[in-house]
Amino acid sequence: MEKTEILTRVKEVVSSVLKVDSSEITDDSNFIFDLGADSMQSIELVAGFEEEFDIEMDQDKALEIQTIDDAVNFISEYV
Amino acid sequence: MKNLLQLRQKNLGPLFHPKSVAIIGTNRVKGTVPHDILESILKAEFNGIVYAVSPREKSIKGIKAYKYVIDVPDDIDLAILVFPSSVCHMALEQCGQKGIKSVIIISAGFREVGEAGLEKEKQLIDIARKYDMSLIGPNCLGVINTDPETNLNASFAREMPERGSIAFLSQSGALCTAVLDYARAKHIGFSKFISFGNKADISEIDLLYYLMDDDETKVILMYLEEVSDGVGLMKAAQEVIEKSGKPILIIKSGRTNEGASAAASHTGSLTGKDEICDAAFKQAGIIRCDHIEEMFNKAIAFAYQPPPESQKVAIITNAGGPGVLTTDAAISSGLKLAKFSEETTQILKKALPATANINNPVDVIGDARSDRYVTAIKAAFDDPDVAGVFVILTPQSMTDIDTIATDIASIAEGETKPIYTSFMGEKDVASGIDLLQKHKIPHYSLPESMCTSYAAVYHFHKHLQPKVHRLAALENIEGELARKLMDKVHSNGRSYIPEVETIELMQTYGLPVPSGKLATTPDEAVNIAEEIGYPVVLKVVSNDIIHKSEAKGVELNLGSAKEVKDAWERIHSNVKLAMPDAFIAGLYVIRMITGSEEIILGIKRDPSFGPVVMFGLGGIFVEIFRDVSFGVAPLSREEALHMIEQTRAFKILKGTRGRNPRDLDSIVDAIMRLGQLAVDFPEIDELDINPLFVLDEGKGSIIGDARMILTKTV
Repeated sequence: MEKTEILTRVKEVVSSVLKVDSSEITDDSNFIFDLGADSMQSIELVAGFEEEFDIEMDQDKALEIQTIDDAVNFISEYV
Repeated sequence: MKNLLQLRQKNLGPLFHPKSVAIIGTNRVKGTVPHDILESILKAEFNGIVYAVSPREKSIKGIKAYKYVIDVPDDIDLAILVFPSSVCHMALEQCGQKGIKSVIIISAGFREVGEAGLEKEKQLIDIARKYDMSLIGPNCLGVINTDPETNLNASFAREMPERGSIAFLSQSGALCTAVLDYARAKHIGFSKFISFGNKADISEIDLLYYLMDDDETKVILMYLEEVSDGVGLMKAAQEVIEKSGKPILIIKSGRTNEGASAAASHTGSLTGKDEICDAAFKQAGIIRCDHIEEMFNKAIAFAYQPPPESQKVAIITNAGGPGVLTTDAAISSGLKLAKFSEETTQILKKALPATANINNPVDVIGDARSDRYVTAIKAAFDDPDVAGVFVILTPQSMTDIDTIATDIASIAEGETKPIYTSFMGEKDVASGIDLLQKHKIPHYSLPESMCTSYAAVYHFHKHLQPKVHRLAALENIEGELARKLMDKVHSNGRSYIPEVETIELMQTYGLPVPSGKLATTPDEAVNIAEEIGYPVVLKVVSNDIIHKSEAKGVELNLGSAKEVKDAWERIHSNVKLAMPDAFIAGLYVIRMITGSEEIILGIKRDPSFGPVVMFGLGGIFVEIFRDVSFGVAPLSREEALHMIEQTRAFKILKGTRGRNPRDLDSIVDAIMRLGQLAVDFPEIDELDINPLFVLDEGKGSIIGDARMILTKTV
């Protein structure tokens, strides 16, 4: 899968889970610092990515993901 | 030109008296730290402007929220970071860009969680340095300032405490909430309440200097888990006490962790860190407390009442038993019962029933109402021999407890002598105790706590004036020669330095070394013995032998050439048997000392407090009774003498039961010289003088044996 497609779908997941307008999400947005994710939402984000891409991510490593870019790079290893 | 201290103090101003505060990372979720901190600030009615910074919210609790702190259009004095640790550095960087100079980082997940957390903490320190920011935390409860000019509760404590004159600093955040709850129940107020957590930047030392000049603070309390800079802490405490007269009470936990770094020698095995911490605190004038209750018992005595002029107290009670108990407790705490004047006795005689005890302790009898207490307290206050009054009450059916409490409070107002109370019991006396506490009259459930608290205040003020000890310049120190000797010892890379070389070094510092020389043949030993005079001692000299006696390498009381030669043979064959591979450089021949008291002196290096000198009586006393004392070097004459005075050995050395008084001055001198040696030569890890023979008064002392251990690298 192309990274641009992953990026688009990651942003959709983030927008839906964090209830943030997609226009506010940039490639280097930090889930916590820029988008205000709390610890529960961080877990929901990982679940959202797994469902969106039909993958199973290493939970510990997945929770270390901090930005949209990080998420795209991480997911690209699975798809 | 401003010194570093002034610059530091200037930086702490906005931390405690900000005009504007931003809570960065706050949210709307009740019961979470990011939310509750904002709520605490609003609830305490902060006298400044509050800004909420939250990535997702437009407003919280009616306050406009900004996405980033750099979006706030106005200047901000203090930022409070409540983001998770993973993004604190980003928030702190923005604080720096915004020009904020004071930051509290509440968030946990730093040094306390291990290596990864430590890295994150270092990142914060780097950012703080880059922007010249002062930083409290991370991993803390926050900061409270009850000054009505500010009214800042930047913490997630449940309630803003009462205003008071006690400052409380704590390394543990959780303990803070417990202390606040404890204090609230007893109406104990605070001037400042500071949880400093991991002390990544601002430490207890910075805070001590700040509180020194804080007009709102009269008493400083601290809970510490580690002393990372013991020398700095001592210096700060001494300066605060000397300049401001404010007492510093510290609970330093971890008392039972002693002995972990026990070294292989006598001195080392006794040198637990906690004993050194005890000694260092005492030397600095810090009052060390064992638990929270003790700390607050003493704190309210300091904060609420004037200091007593003497140890003489009047006890006023409505029950004989508690009066006796209090008398016992007073005497055990080093206090004395005041002797009433004839005038006082007459006043009491007239006002009290015939069955009352009009002498000290005064018993106003079980059926006493407030009027008897009032008369007795006033008479005691007016008596010239009374420096302080203890009021004891037990609840009888006719005791008007609340009235007595209220009357005590009004008598105490404006009084220059202190009054302490103990309303004994629990339920019936509760409302009376509450009244006393509300009126800031120190109350104690037990007379013992009352007496020890009084004694603590008395001793603190008594020693306040002469606390300024100046270090005496020591004569007869050949620094250059000592350096040469040490370089020579170091050049061959050894760490264990045996007797002869240790004594050579000590001689350059004017320490009382024995007459003696190294002999390499039996004839040479005899010649030396005849030169210094019989009787002599022969001791094996070998880098391979630490415990000479265990290797049977010592022969005492040799009175002739034949005895010296025979002893020479015995030592060689004994040592060969005990340690066949040991290289014997020769035998040390010294004059035998008799008719002396044996003590031990030593140097130990403590990771927190640096060079420390140890003193103790020699022989079995040192091991069985642990009758030793410590002092952080360098030591003044007064401090060195105090080291001796605080041991039981002092009585023996002063001369008792027919024993001659020994030469205390020579011990004091040796302690000071050892301390100086320890300061000048950081490479000395340990040094033992065991024994030091102390002769009769005026005759000096002589080192019996000594050795030292050097650190490999300096």
